Amino acid sequence: MGDISTYNGSAILAMTGKNCVAIISDKRFGVQYQTISMDFDKIYSVTPKLFYGLGGLVTDMQTFSSKLKFRTNLYEIKNGRTMEPAVLTKCISSMLYEKRFGPFFVQPVIAGLDKDNKPFIASMDSIGACTFPDDFVVGGTAEENLFGMSESLWRPDMEADDLKHVCTQCFLAGINRDALSGWGAVLYLITPDGVIREDIEGRMD
Amino acid sequence: MMLEGHDESFNENPKANGEVSLGTTIMAIRFDHGVVMAADSRTTTGSFIANRVTDKIYKVTDNIYCCRSGSAADTQAISDIVKANLTVHSLELGQPPAVNTAAKVFRSMCYKYRDQLSAGIIVGGVDSTGPHVYSIPLGGSVVEQPFSIGGSGSTYIYGYCDAHYRPGMSKEECIEFAKSCVALAMSRDGSSGGLIRLAVITPDGVERQVVTGIEQ
Repeated sequence: MGDISTYNGSAILAMTGKNCVAIISDKRFGVQYQTISMDFDKIYSVTPKLFYGLGGLVTDMQTFSSKLKFRTNLYEIKNGRTMEPAVLTKCISSMLYEKRFGPFFVQPVIAGLDKDNKPFIASMDSIGACTFPDDFVVGGTAEENLFGMSESLWRPDMEADDLKHVCTQCFLAGINRDALSGWGAVLYLITPDGVIREDIEGRMD
Repeated sequence: MMLEGHDESFNENPKANGEVSLGTTIMAIRFDHGVVMAADSRTTTGSFIANRVTDKIYKVTDNIYCCRSGSAADTQAISDIVKANLTVHSLELGQPPAVNTAAKVFRSMCYKYRDQLSAGIIVGGVDSTGPHVYSIPLGGSVVEQPFSIGGSGSTYIYGYCDAHYRPGMSKEECIEFAKSCVALAMSRDGSSGGLIRLAVITPDGVERQVVTGIEQ
């Protein structure tokens, strides 16, 4: 059993556009080199305008997302409103740091629109160190590939259609060079008018 | 380490020394007057795909080809040495070498250095006694088979091959069978993928084919 963060394989990418964000993940669930399922997407929804993706070890993804669901539900009940993206990010960060010396092996990527419909993205490592860039964030075993592609193709103020196109192209090119992620992709495009989910066909190898 | 196929080295960190793996699915099928060799085209360094259009079907002589799986460096070195030996041998013999001979030369190297090598090879070709397929897995044993599958992806298609192979298939049937086997393995094995490369060896010569995309 080698590197725990490459045991399952995953790839997540989120990008900002003009008044919109897109978050995309691959659909592979594998155990080392064997592919078990090609229908396992890694993006979870908090509200229709706030999504997060989890890369890393699948068992920890599932446990952590359940614990987070509990926290977000409780927040909604107590505060009478849903969580803002920045609050969710800090909540995740805090939950991860609680396990500083026995961490969850997950890499969260958060994407959403805040209450003023301003695009928000963030990512963090497995012990909760956050970054808040304004262009794109990546996670998973394919992150180095995705960094390269996104750095080259991202530009500011993209409209929704452009953003969807650029995000998809970056993602597919990135995962095609990673043996542990791929087998299709799912994209969520979040705009002030609503969210569109799209299943993308990619190489199934 | 570049590998064609993954092995226990997944548990160490292959990127540390840049080793390359031929994470692989390879196969060879004998039909009445020839052999179909097939392979995927992915080479990995850890989980990074170093080459997605690799040619794992290597020409040993005009009438004998081999499919490589395991460590890319090991299989390339062995194949080059065997090719050199057989070239000299066929000049001395005055005729193309027997497939049996090629298999034995491969075997002698794979067995002698078995503790240091990571190489699984399938040898296929046509000689004066007809078509032959020999499998030389990791320890250096040789076995002749009517068809042979190898590499990390082959584990996913043993059942499929056993169910669908029939002796006496025609050349076209063998080609379609090979394509479907390799495609299925590529869709389940993380270290196989890319294109499907084929080599059809007959007494008239060798025909190379490439299939892009995955036939599902």
